[in-house]
Amino acid sequence: MNAEKKITSTWLLWPALFMLVAFFLVPTLDILRASFFDPEFTTKHFVKLLGSSVYLDVLWRTIKLSIVVSLICAVIGYPISYFIVQRPRKQQIFFLFLIFIPLWMSVLIRSYAWMVVLGREGLFNSILIGLGITDQPVKMLFTTGAVYVAMVQILLPIQIVTCYSAMSEIDLDLIRAARILGAKPWQAIRRVFLPLTLDGTVTGAIIVFMLSMGFFITPALVGGRKDIMMANLIEFQVNQLNWGFAAAISIILLIGTVLSVIIIKRLSKILTRRLVGGGNA
Amino acid sequence: MNKKPFNLSKLILTGYFVVIIFYLTFPIFIIIPISFSNNPFLRFPPSNLGVLWYETYLGDSGWVESTLLSLKVALLACSVSTVIGTMAVLVLERQALRHKSLLTYFITSPIIVPHIFISLGMFIFAIRLGIDDNAITLAFAHATIAFPFVVLIVGASHRQLDPTFERAARVLGAGPVRAFFSAAFPSLLPGIVAAAVFSFFVSFDELIIAEFMMSGQQTLPMRIWADLKLEMRPTIAAVSSILIVVSIVGMGAAELLRRRSIKTLND
Amino acid sequence: MTSILKRFTNVAVAALVVAGSASLAFAADKEITFSGSGGVVGEVSKEVWFGPFEKDTGIKINHVAAEAKRMPQLEAMVKSGNVLWDAMEVSASDYPLGVKKDLFEAIDYSVVDPENKLPTDTREKFGVAYAAYSQVLIVRTDKLPEGKKMESWADFWDVKNFPGPRALRGRAEDNLEYALLADGVPAEDLYKVLSTEEGLDRAFAKMDEIKPHITTWWTSGAQSVQLLSDGEVYFCPSYNGRITTLVSSGIPAEIVWNGGAMHKSYIAIPKGTKHLKEAEEYVKYRTTNADHMREYVTHLPYPGWAPGLFEGMDQALAASMPTYPQNQAVQFAASAEFWAENLDAIQERWTEWLLK
Repeated sequence: MNAEKKITSTWLLWPALFMLVAFFLVPTLDILRASFFDPEFTTKHFVKLLGSSVYLDVLWRTIKLSIVVSLICAVIGYPISYFIVQRPRKQQIFFLFLIFIPLWMSVLIRSYAWMVVLGREGLFNSILIGLGITDQPVKMLFTTGAVYVAMVQILLPIQIVTCYSAMSEIDLDLIRAARILGAKPWQAIRRVFLPLTLDGTVTGAIIVFMLSMGFFITPALVGGRKDIMMANLIEFQVNQLNWGFAAAISIILLIGTVLSVIIIKRLSKILTRRLVGGGNA
Repeated sequence: MNKKPFNLSKLILTGYFVVIIFYLTFPIFIIIPISFSNNPFLRFPPSNLGVLWYETYLGDSGWVESTLLSLKVALLACSVSTVIGTMAVLVLERQALRHKSLLTYFITSPIIVPHIFISLGMFIFAIRLGIDDNAITLAFAHATIAFPFVVLIVGASHRQLDPTFERAARVLGAGPVRAFFSAAFPSLLPGIVAAAVFSFFVSFDELIIAEFMMSGQQTLPMRIWADLKLEMRPTIAAVSSILIVVSIVGMGAAELLRRRSIKTLND
Repeated sequence: MTSILKRFTNVAVAALVVAGSASLAFAADKEITFSGSGGVVGEVSKEVWFGPFEKDTGIKINHVAAEAKRMPQLEAMVKSGNVLWDAMEVSASDYPLGVKKDLFEAIDYSVVDPENKLPTDTREKFGVAYAAYSQVLIVRTDKLPEGKKMESWADFWDVKNFPGPRALRGRAEDNLEYALLADGVPAEDLYKVLSTEEGLDRAFAKMDEIKPHITTWWTSGAQSVQLLSDGEVYFCPSYNGRITTLVSSGIPAEIVWNGGAMHKSYIAIPKGTKHLKEAEEYVKYRTTNADHMREYVTHLPYPGWAPGLFEGMDQALAASMPTYPQNQAVQFAASAEFWAENLDAIQERWTEWLLK
């Protein structure tokens, strides 16, 4: 029986691998190769890249921004997923539907909507001035804060949904059981529910993080002059047809992303252990 | 048990939920009013009310075709990626594979490689085969970038799965396929649906690959960006509003149908 | 392109039969594929150029709206040996790039302009200039201080006499020229000065002065107009064609031609096209047919150099064209060659400067 199960199961992976190799790996490797072969083997692109502080500076900014965005999404999203998962199934579908509604709007027009709202003569400033809270328009648009507001709005649904789908497997009776055994509600959540759901939260946060690392339209539209993302630099080089250099920047971005994800995963493991095992605080 | 604090925290949670939903849907409250203005720019509050941009949208067969094309591609991409991705999860989460974490990184890599490289690579591949400018090719390309999300989302929910039920079903004599569909599948369903919806939108809003692959036909994001180069006309606001209203109506209709069918069943 | 892909493709071709490919085989003989702007430009071109061209020559134009990624796409096609386009729009900054990468067919002027009627500086070896567009300063006249008029880049830099939020485009091109003009460099010396190390330092030093007063650095034409329309900024360079929409929607705005950057758009023929003759036919039509060009500019003020274009044109309309003699005289001709040569180096400095 064991052997039979193994055969059927591994077979299930083949379509995925085939699609990845055909549509992604072979075509993409071919382009990324340009970073080392131009056409002979060369390290000149990397020498140039590491020789200037600009690229690593922008990489660091991109990572920082993405981490903040994914943290905000994780913190805001967690209670929302918890709220939804507690409801009867029929209501859950309705709430998820609500969460997905904004996705019908192109990312582009959502960014423009924030421009209209946060601008000098925009909705918020009109309200603030109308209420007499301020007489000078407050600068909200074209700041890093505006980037967070716009990006979290775009990425939060994916965080909520990932977290929700992991939570929905958990037996809520576990919490009740813990309560009956004398745990305070907060304790029950922290010791039982939180460790069980951390995996879904972290997965969601990692997805949000990886997506943020590739963002550039929204930061360019609502951000300030320093909100330059790696993707902006890549875009520029591609438009100049500098494929080798663009590929080199992408590889640096790739390395930065993977390293960050590994660190996030490690940290979350330590956190889970602490939550389950540790401290009375 | 004392009930009061529990209710209070529930109230706070509900309030919090309402606030966040308001934030998530906030652009809608800006964009729908904007779409009913006859101004050539996005203006809020809208002045000069009218349905000019709806007329522009519905009167231009190009816009409507683009919308339909995007819906078609997204539906196909989401079916392909969901099926293939869920199948992959069953292997990744259940088998003791060597180098599993490496494999997982490989599978998720389409998310982190900038789309421009994937686009260019796929484009060269497609024109060599003569399958560029083809909705099906585009759908498969989109499925490729969407399916890592499926693997991650369904994977996260699979890890919380209780394997006992499926084992019980097998012990009771069900084959592996039947055991899976009767025991594990229902619990995985929320994750699968969420992943499917998400991959639908990954495709629906994707610009760069479409820009490379399609030449004769334009997807909706391509059409939107073509307009953007010179001016941001509120046609885009009208498109978004129509899509939102249609999806709400569709959801409502589905709910009504469901209720009616339950009623007929009960009668 | 490379061996892995080739080998893989061969296997894939052998293994796959894809129905979609069949559609290409049925393309009519007399048809060319033209890659040009979509949106409004595409709509107008269809009406003014493609339709009449088919009627006059019997050659049908299959319009492909390609936007931002036109050059990467072209390069991929040329390298893979399957060129899908027969003629295409090429922006001023893309033209030298395409020449450097050898992506265009040389233009046969004995076909396109046999009587030598086009101005010499529009007849490039691998492309013909078909339209002029300017990136000019646009001013919200209702936001100006009483009785004052903004007339130059020096005024734009003068934040004391002309207070108010401003925007610039988020790239080095044009901006460094504006800075030098504001610093008193005569238009004809711009590129001479910029080519020197001191000149470049001088331009960046001038940019330092204006940097704190720039609200945002726009990236698309639509954005710049939206900013002016929202009152988010009062003074901002944008394409000359955008002013009409602003004014017609009731926003008091004005172009400052003085110090504007005039660019040329080219029409070129991708290397390896299968319809060279027909493509040349269209290049000729698009660049020398004054009647259609006159009609085109009533929709979009991006005129070309067809002989006799201004004859019989409405005076007010003519005066709104970037190539109208009075307007052209006060602008500078943006040098695509200079930027093709120096952009890589300057861009790095530009990004560094932005982050500082």
